[in-house]
Amino acid sequence: MPGRAWTSGLTRWGVVLIVILITLAPVVWVLSLSFKPPQEWLAYPPTLIPRQPTLENYLVLFWPGNPVGVVSEMVRTAEPVTRAFINSLIIVPISTALSIVIGFLAAYGISRFGAGGNFLPFSVLTTRMFPPIAFAVPLLVYYRSLGLIDTHLGLILMYTTFTLAFSLWMIKGFIDGIPRHIEEAAILDGASRWRVMFTITLPLIRGGLAAAALFVFIMNWTEFLFALIFTSRFAVTLPVQVSRYAGAVGRYYGPQAALGIVASIPVLIAGYLIQRYLVRAFTFGLVK
Amino acid sequence: MAYKEQALIRLEGITKEFNGTIAVQDMNLEVQEGEFLCFLGPSGCGKTTTLRMIAGLERPTRGEIYLRGQRITDWPPQRRNIGFMFQNYALFQHMSVYDNLAFGLRVRRVPPAEIERRVRAVAQALELETVLNLRASRLDLSTMQRVALARILVIEPQVLLLDEPLNNFRPGLRELMRAELKRWQYQFGRTMVYVTHDQEEALTLGDRVVVMNAGRIEQVGTPDEVYWRPATLFVASFIGRPPMNLISVEYRISEGHALLSSLDFELRVDERRGIIEASRSLPHLILGIRPEQLQISDPQAPSPGDLVRIPVKVDLIRPLGRKLILDLKTRSGLLIQMVTPSTRRFTVGDDLEIVFHPHQALLFDPQTGQGLY
Repeated sequence: MPGRAWTSGLTRWGVVLIVILITLAPVVWVLSLSFKPPQEWLAYPPTLIPRQPTLENYLVLFWPGNPVGVVSEMVRTAEPVTRAFINSLIIVPISTALSIVIGFLAAYGISRFGAGGNFLPFSVLTTRMFPPIAFAVPLLVYYRSLGLIDTHLGLILMYTTFTLAFSLWMIKGFIDGIPRHIEEAAILDGASRWRVMFTITLPLIRGGLAAAALFVFIMNWTEFLFALIFTSRFAVTLPVQVSRYAGAVGRYYGPQAALGIVASIPVLIAGYLIQRYLVRAFTFGLVK
Repeated sequence: MAYKEQALIRLEGITKEFNGTIAVQDMNLEVQEGEFLCFLGPSGCGKTTTLRMIAGLERPTRGEIYLRGQRITDWPPQRRNIGFMFQNYALFQHMSVYDNLAFGLRVRRVPPAEIERRVRAVAQALELETVLNLRASRLDLSTMQRVALARILVIEPQVLLLDEPLNNFRPGLRELMRAELKRWQYQFGRTMVYVTHDQEEALTLGDRVVVMNAGRIEQVGTPDEVYWRPATLFVASFIGRPPMNLISVEYRISEGHALLSSLDFELRVDERRGIIEASRSLPHLILGIRPEQLQISDPQAPSPGDLVRIPVKVDLIRPLGRKLILDLKTRSGLLIQMVTPSTRRFTVGDDLEIVFHPHQALLFDPQTGQGLY
């Protein structure tokens, strides 16, 4: 028996290890790439550990004009990423918060009162059924006449709208899981519906909200298509900035990788901060 | 009618429909101040719906609800000051026991010192002082139940509504908690309306029992009344374990006597002739007799001649410790159950003669289901 337990433990860890390797392989590759000088970007055979590691890819993100080496020369005309970073840090948290707040209110109405009829939850999903590019042209026309192109507000509205379906469905699932009796008990205790929503239901689905918020945050943080089409200078976000590191001869993989790593840091921090809620969200079925 | 003592709660012609299906139909009922009223019926009979309408969680499709003579049909639940204990207790899992108890008082903007005093008082009465700081999600079932009760009591409601609160307990504990509940009712002296599908619970706890079936009230009465004088066939067959023996009989007049006869026995019912003849489905009637009213006749000491005698064969013996249940087959193949002290030994196949007093037999109209009294 001990022998069997030992092998089954080994198998389990083996499987976990393989999954981790597959999942993290691109991350590891990007991380390694971000420290490589240009001659190693496309070297064959590839190197995992850079032979001549350098920080230049990172430095040029913030000080592109500062002549340190060959990479600075390539990206001489690029803007510092500071602006894109700040833009993303404005647009993404605000649109995520809006999406979650509106999503919670809408999900509550749908879950508890069947607001909007049976078809509403489904029809909300239609915004995610079309290829996003299908919306681009009509929206471009609207945005031009409204003066929303290349503005924070323009992207905030767009991100809120496009993630709403997602947060609504996810949060609705969590609200559906809260027994009505708990809310009714609070109502019989004299609490108003709003009070029940915010002091009973909301705390009970905190983990679910955190999970939804994290996913929406990631979706917005990495959104590329709309940001590319609807911004040009002022409201450029990080994913667009990544695409800017390219020249006539090809892409500048080093700075792109470095920016990818830098851009992932806020998400990692956000994920770390809310992970204790996430665990609760995934063990949610235990609340009966 | 003179203004008699006002009922605490009065339901007038209450009907509730859900998408065309009728859950409760034309219900009239009064709940008296201080009484323990039990709703008893199979699941889906509308008893919980009735409770929810009293609480204001459902709005009746038709009919009116009065609280101390005041019409409250349109009042939101928040305004009614009614305590409701849910089947799963519906505690606020994310709060401490203290906060659970204080919730209703905080909502009512009771001053903090007063909240503290009332919560402590109720916690003391229900022995919850040691768990006040625990999270509600970490309690065991019987503590949860006490917290649920305390949470209701602390707001000093007009009436306590309890929806199958003992359902989650395993059988042994269930009886213990039943006794606790009864003790609490004495202790707090509050009006309680209690929903259950467990007849023993209803008969032990209730001052009065409302037997419901398919959205209608079958009978309202004391536990004795519903047990010994069931108003309908449904009540007769639903209450009692093992159930009442229900036997088809025919009514006829022979030599000036009113007789009920089945394939196996005959009895004279001269004194009930008037009542019987008012029945519309004559000559067919149903005779009901409780298993514990049947006795085994003793050949050594002949019993009085007016007893009904039925020769039977023992078909199955089910010992229950002090008592045992005998399944008996009559000559015509009819199954009769009786309960008898286990002092005597029986074997399957024994020939016996069982007897009962004619006046113990209950009669029902098979078409309307109504008892003939």
